[in-house]
This record gives sequence, structure tokens and C-alpha cells, in this order.
Amino acid sequence: MADTSRVTPLAAPAPVMSPVTLLRIVIILTVLAVWELLSYSGWLYQDVVPSLLAIGGALIDLLTHGEYYFNLAVTAGEVGTALLLGGSLGLIVGITLGANRFLSKAFESYLYYLGPTPKIIFFPIMIMWFGVGPGSKIALGTLSCFFPVALSAAAGMRQIDKTLIRVGKSFRASTAQMVFKIYLPAMRHPIINGVRLGLGVALIGTLLAETKLSNKGIGFLIINAYSTFDMPRMYAMLIVLFILSIGANAVVGRLGGLDTIKRN
Amino acid sequence: MTPPAAQQSNNDILVVDDVVVRFDTPDGSVTAVDHVSFGVRPGEFLSVIGPSGCGKSTLFNVIGGLLGHTEGMVSVAGVTINGPHQSIGMVFQEESTFPWRSVTDNVAFPLELIGMPKAQRIERARHFISLVGLDGFENRYPNELSGGMRQRVSLARTLASEPKILLMDEPFAALDEQTRLLLGDKVLQIQQQLKQTTLLITHNITEAVQMSDRILVMTYRPGRVKRIVDIDLPRPRTSEIVGSEAFGRYVAQIWADLREEASRGMRDEEDHMMHPAGSKS
Repeated sequence: MADTSRVTPLAAPAPVMSPVTLLRIVIILTVLAVWELLSYSGWLYQDVVPSLLAIGGALIDLLTHGEYYFNLAVTAGEVGTALLLGGSLGLIVGITLGANRFLSKAFESYLYYLGPTPKIIFFPIMIMWFGVGPGSKIALGTLSCFFPVALSAAAGMRQIDKTLIRVGKSFRASTAQMVFKIYLPAMRHPIINGVRLGLGVALIGTLLAETKLSNKGIGFLIINAYSTFDMPRMYAMLIVLFILSIGANAVVGRLGGLDTIKRN
Repeated sequence: MTPPAAQQSNNDILVVDDVVVRFDTPDGSVTAVDHVSFGVRPGEFLSVIGPSGCGKSTLFNVIGGLLGHTEGMVSVAGVTINGPHQSIGMVFQEESTFPWRSVTDNVAFPLELIGMPKAQRIERARHFISLVGLDGFENRYPNELSGGMRQRVSLARTLASEPKILLMDEPFAALDEQTRLLLGDKVLQIQQQLKQTTLLITHNITEAVQMSDRILVMTYRPGRVKRIVDIDLPRPRTSEIVGSEAFGRYVAQIWADLREEASRGMRDEEDHMMHPAGSKS
């Protein structure tokens, strides 16, 4: 019937990609084209804007040599250790402060003062304490990661529904049972959020420290490429780092997201 | 007025003996519960009713061991309690299900705490889920259920710990009237089936008369025992009893007692609003 054919838009083909995706692709292509033009124009000092071909070549060169992966592993290990140390320390301190009004009044303001301070200013101290190797980078990453996790955990602890705590107590849960079966699951959203922020700042802290003073790691490679004026290699490393950061953030976000869908 | 001591007999399973609870507030010491004594017999359904501010929720927390008392003694089966006791299972007025646990895992919570093996506790949890009429919802999460269903999950969770005494603080207060009456039926049915000794804290007269063997009426601040009324209505009961003549007489009798207290409470509250404690000095 004529009527039905009018209300069924099945005949219209689904668009291959959404307008947003299309716009993004257009923007990226434009930037690349402008970049390439700029590199051939000679308006800027030679090699500051290397051609895409040179960067591509450097990228392949980078990814086909073991040296890069070794340094990547060093940095990943530093960030991972920093996240583990700073995260667990932050969690313990945050839960303690959140649970105890007296301690929270006495100490929490320090966390708020120190939290936004750029941790890189402590790097000279870390070098003196832990040396120029991975130790000082882990220390700086740990310090960076500690604050957001501790503050989120303390806030999360205070937001726990008091009735749920009373339920636990009425069933005579032990302290460990209260922590693992009530406090932690009830705080899962603020904790995941804190870990996400913590990962970001641990990455920043570690890389920043590596660019300052080190002999291995991605930060070291980047600053090394810069000081030898190997721009294509430097850009190639920035691109890889950029992609890795997006990936890491997506993984943590996914962990939080899955939790939300499954258990509200 | 019935002398409180006469209400206690030797076979009472729960004894509240001369309990006093005082709080220190900025305006001085306030007596919330004032020399309250009563006993609960095994298998009995006893309700404590009183106006807001009569200290009945304080009493709930004291009997449940979540709040200390200033004077007196609370004992279960002859054992003095100071702290949460395994013989007493509490159901709270507020939302109290764990949102991150499925219905089964919520109900199995107390069994998990005592280290019961998983298969066994799931089986036990299923039994109590079925008892409160939530078959088919075992794997749902609390946010997928209605308020009345969540309150049934809380009830099943407390029953799963198999307490000697079920202690409930206005468990239906947040629900609408019809859900409340039907849920009352469910509680009555379960209570009669399990011969569960139950102590219900409420401000709802209909609810109290519908379910109780005895009703303890409390005075407005400080909370004292005003009267204990025997409810001599036939069992098994359902919400249909609400329409009977005898039911109406009990409601009228208890309202007569409560009216006095409630209006005292209301005057007191109005006074407080007119002259807040801090503004006098």
C-alpha cells in the first residue's frame, strides 16, 4: 500500500559514516596537508617541520628496532610501579582519613595544598634519594599518583551510605570484612576515577622526570632525539606516545564503564 | 498504667530492663529513653509504637547493639548484650540493600560473613528469596527492583542469618499504603510460618494492630512505657482484619493513648520553632 511505503524509510541506505567521523577525518587530512605544504615551503627553519615521509620513515625505523621497545618497557614498568605504589598508598591513606574525622581534620588540608603542586619540583630531592636510574622516576610517579587517589578515596569513604555500614555492623562483620565487602565496593566509582587521574599524573611525572635527567626510558629517547636535532624521530616518538596514552586511558575508562553497566 | 516489671516473666527471650539512654547535646543532656522495661516472649510479635521523638529508633539501635545505653540492661536468652548480637537480626527503615550485589548475593551476605561454603549459602539464600516471594529475581540488581521488593530483599537477608529475634525499624515507612498492607501480610505469613519472634518499631497504628500480639505504647520525650496492650485477635491474620469491628476498637484505644503524646510532641516542636534553644541567651 502507498501509505506503508511512505512510513518505512528502509529503502534509504544507511550512511557509511556519521557526519562527526567525516568532519574529524577532514580535519586530520587538512592538518596533514598544511603540515606537508609547510615542510616543503621553506618558510620555517629546515627540519623543524619535517615532511610526513621523513616522520613515517622514522616511525618505521623506531618500531623495527629493539632499543625502542626496551625503553618503552622501562617507562611502562616505572609508570606501572608508580601507579601500584602511589595507588595503594593513596587508597590506605584516603580510607583512613575518610573514616577518621580527627585525622582528616588534622591532615587532609595538607593533601589539598600539596595535591596541585607540580611534583617535578621534588625531582632534585628524588635524585639525591633514589639516584638517576628508574628509582627517582618511580618515586616522582608515585608521589604524583598518590594525591588524586588519596583525595578521591577520602571523599568516597565519606559518601558511603551510613545505613550500609550499620547493616555490616549489625551482622557483626570484622574490620577486614567491612573494608573488602562494604567500604571498597561502595567506593568503587570514586576509586576508579581517582586511579584514572592517578594514571594520568603518574605518566606525566615519570616522563617529565625522564626528560630532565635519565639514561633510559621514552622521555630520555625523546629528549635525546631533540638534543641531536633528529626531529623526524622525535615526532615519531610523540605520535606513538600519544596513541599509547589514549589506549591506556581507554582501558581504565572501560574498566570503570563495565562496572557501571553491570552493577550500577 | 501497667507496672513495667510485671510484664517480665522468666521465659522472655529478650529482656529490656530499666534502660536509660541520655545524649549530650550543646543544650545539655537529653534523655531519649527513660527507664524502659519490657520483655518479648518466644514466638511473639511485639510492636513498639509512639510519636516521633519518643526514642523508639534509639531503642531499636540499643537493642540491636549499634548504640550504647547509659543505664540498665538488655539481654537475649539470658545473655547480656553490649554490641551487635547474632541472635538479633535488624531490618532498617532506610534503603539498605547493597547496590553492587545481586539479590542472591545480598541475601547470602550474612552467610558469607560466617564463612559458609558458596554452594550452601546460595541454596540457603534461594530459600529465603522464595520465602519473601521474589522467585525469578535472584540475579537482578537492586536498582532493577521496586522499593517494596528491595525491602523484601533486606528482610530475606536478615532472615537468612536466622536470628532468634527479628528487630525491625519501620521497615515499610518509605512505601505507599497499599504496598505496605500487602507487605505486612507477607511479613505476618512468614512470621507465623517460622514462628519468628519479632519486635517491630513503628508509628503506624494499623500496622501495629494488624500484626502484633502485644503493643507497647511509648510516651513523647522522654520515652517511657505508657501502656502495654494485648491484641486478642484471631490468627492466622491477613490485612483483611483491618475491616473488623474488634480491630477498629483496638485502633481507637491505642489512638486515644497516642493522641495525647503526639499532640504533646507537636506543641513541643512548635515551641522549638518559635523559640530556638540558641536564641534565648
